[in-house]
Amino acid sequence: MQLLLIWLFPLISAVVLWAFGPRLRSWAGPIGSALVGVPFVATVMLWRDATLGAGVHVPLVSWLPGWAFGLQLDRLTLIWTLIITGVGFLIHVYSMGYMDGDRAYARFFAYMNFFVFAMLTLVLSDNVVGLLVGWGLVGLASYFLIGFWFERPSAVAAARKAFVMNVIGDVGIMFAVFVIVAKVGSIGFGDIFTRFAAAFTPHELFLVCLGLFIGCAAKSAQIPLHTWLPDAMEGPTPVSALIHAATMVTAGVYLIARFAPLWSASPDAQELVGVIGGLTAIAGALLGCAQWDIKRILAYSTMSQIGYMIMGVGVGAYSAGVFHFFTHAFFKAQLFLGAGIVIHALANEQDVRRMGGLWKRMPFAFVAMFVGVLAICGVPGFSGFFSKDAVVYGVLATNHPWLYAVGVITAGITAYYMFRLLFVTFFGAYRGAVDPSDLGIRHPELAGTSASSGHHAEEEEPHQHAPSWLMSAPVAILIPFSIFIGWLDYGGANAPWQRFFDGAFPRAAETTPVLSETVSTVLVLLVVLAGVALAYLRYGTSAAQAGAVDRLRTETIRMPRVLVNAYYFDAAYDVLLVVPARAVGRWFVRTFDPHVLDAAVHEAAISAQWLGHLFRSFQTGLVRTYALSILFGVVCIVAYYAVAFGAGR
Amino acid sequence: MIVGPDNYVALSAVLFLIGVVGVIARRNPLIMLMSIELLFNAANLALVAYARSWVMNTGHIFVFLVITVAAAEAAIGLAIVVVTFRRSQHVDVDEVAALRG
Repeated sequence: MQLLLIWLFPLISAVVLWAFGPRLRSWAGPIGSALVGVPFVATVMLWRDATLGAGVHVPLVSWLPGWAFGLQLDRLTLIWTLIITGVGFLIHVYSMGYMDGDRAYARFFAYMNFFVFAMLTLVLSDNVVGLLVGWGLVGLASYFLIGFWFERPSAVAAARKAFVMNVIGDVGIMFAVFVIVAKVGSIGFGDIFTRFAAAFTPHELFLVCLGLFIGCAAKSAQIPLHTWLPDAMEGPTPVSALIHAATMVTAGVYLIARFAPLWSASPDAQELVGVIGGLTAIAGALLGCAQWDIKRILAYSTMSQIGYMIMGVGVGAYSAGVFHFFTHAFFKAQLFLGAGIVIHALANEQDVRRMGGLWKRMPFAFVAMFVGVLAICGVPGFSGFFSKDAVVYGVLATNHPWLYAVGVITAGITAYYMFRLLFVTFFGAYRGAVDPSDLGIRHPELAGTSASSGHHAEEEEPHQHAPSWLMSAPVAILIPFSIFIGWLDYGGANAPWQRFFDGAFPRAAETTPVLSETVSTVLVLLVVLAGVALAYLRYGTSAAQAGAVDRLRTETIRMPRVLVNAYYFDAAYDVLLVVPARAVGRWFVRTFDPHVLDAAVHEAAISAQWLGHLFRSFQTGLVRTYALSILFGVVCIVAYYAVAFGAGR
Repeated sequence: MIVGPDNYVALSAVLFLIGVVGVIARRNPLIMLMSIELLFNAANLALVAYARSWVMNTGHIFVFLVITVAAAEAAIGLAIVVVTFRRSQHVDVDEVAALRG
């Protein structure tokens, strides 16, 4: 019952805000936040029940044999539900400050609540069909949220792109669900995991895992379906925090962790997922080095970190991958919300080249971002250190040395671009008054800089909003979590996290790694240190800061095109899919439609007319002609019978 | 002389032919109606003849039905003739062709 309310509260709130939003005025925010906060408290209260045995299970309806729908809260779901409602609640509170004064204040909270509801449907379902429904609803909610500012054509395009990519993933999952239902005959997770070994051949199992992974790749922005993620930054910043940090993009990690028994039984699928995750991690990190938009840098860093998680759960290090999700939710939400404070204060300026020296003006945002950067880079003691180390070492322990190397290198690149972000944004002199072309920004609107920023160039000091407590408080709450949450995994097999998930996941076949864990940690730290040092030398030294304007200009101009264009993925999709689709469409418009469809309709009309003329000539109106034709008919019938039956005798 | 069914049927055929020619060849609607009556009664004659020869009452019953229908048909036909005559002062069916397609 309690679980049902946890699930339904955000939906109730969304419907209420949707229906009565304009009348509620400023009450929309508190209502929306409260109905996410209450489920969080309720989830915490369910902790004990959820961790006992198989957890809480609430059957709802049963349709056909094997088609029972219900909700369940086990250990894995508990982690996700806590993050979705907890971090979601903080982001809701933050949004009350961030979206204050927006015309569609209530609509924003309605969408946010709907998103939380969709996410809860996804993780709380005890069957694959419910999961698929939640999966689709999350895609829909992300469409609403990314396209929230629908007056902007770019936001609408980004929303559409995200939706299309997500639907590709939905189709993959749907395929997997079809195969599962056909072979296992049940949609419940419990039935699937007990019966799948007998029901599937290894080949079919691989296909199911592949279908599921297509869904993961689309939702979690894995190569090659990642292109929607950076564009999705068109939504308001709290949306970016909610979708990209806390919840949506980690749904893929959830899916793999949930289907861990299937994955563990299919080494091919594990191999595939691990490689894709590793590729995404390093590709996203490299792209992060080439971006100037503060939110896009964070977007690519999200992509890269999700790559870590997928790599972890892919190779079988499930609890490590989930742990990285857990810590990432805190520090990435914090980074996004910190960036949101900066963007809000600078009147929607998002280009880091036009920032600089902000630590004096916004010490709070600086501290928040700094802690977030330390956490994401994996500085010892901060949360990211523990989780990333666990993932990277888990990859090595399951005997994937190449993926391990990728993970270590990516850690260095991550350190480089995150500290680059930090130095360029918060140190040196403020560059908001510098002419954009001096910074190498040729098309401000294309570079992600808002059009209004041109006005600031003439002002001495841009108008700054001090962040209200509504915006600072959630970030302040997140900071200690970002720092300390990692200690949950401290202490080897005895760590609270390990004990929490003990026996929840199938154990991967571990080999004795070449490196011991301590050596590996030191190695990762050295690489991270190298990344930080490189960023410091390029952006942090006083000489570099003095010549920052020139430096940024030359760097903008010399940036490798392949990175600026994100490996030409968008261009390739254009050439491979969009252009042929357009050509086919044009052929249909110009040839098929007029010459086949229209022609057929036209011909039908003409023949009807011709037939009409023919029959019209019989209708003389003369009674005697009619009588004659009747006679003729009678004669014919009589003649037929005479011949047919007369001849037989 | 024994009058067998053959003779009745032959008379019926002759009457039917006269009726057909009357309907097709004449242009006076009254004559045409009378010819139609001939057609009906030719058929009636054949029905009664067969009924008697096979000793089945179905034919007799059917003849009553035909007589009833013929009466109704004559009433409606005459009404139409009267109406068209009032409108056009003609008694030629070829002049009445308003239903031409």
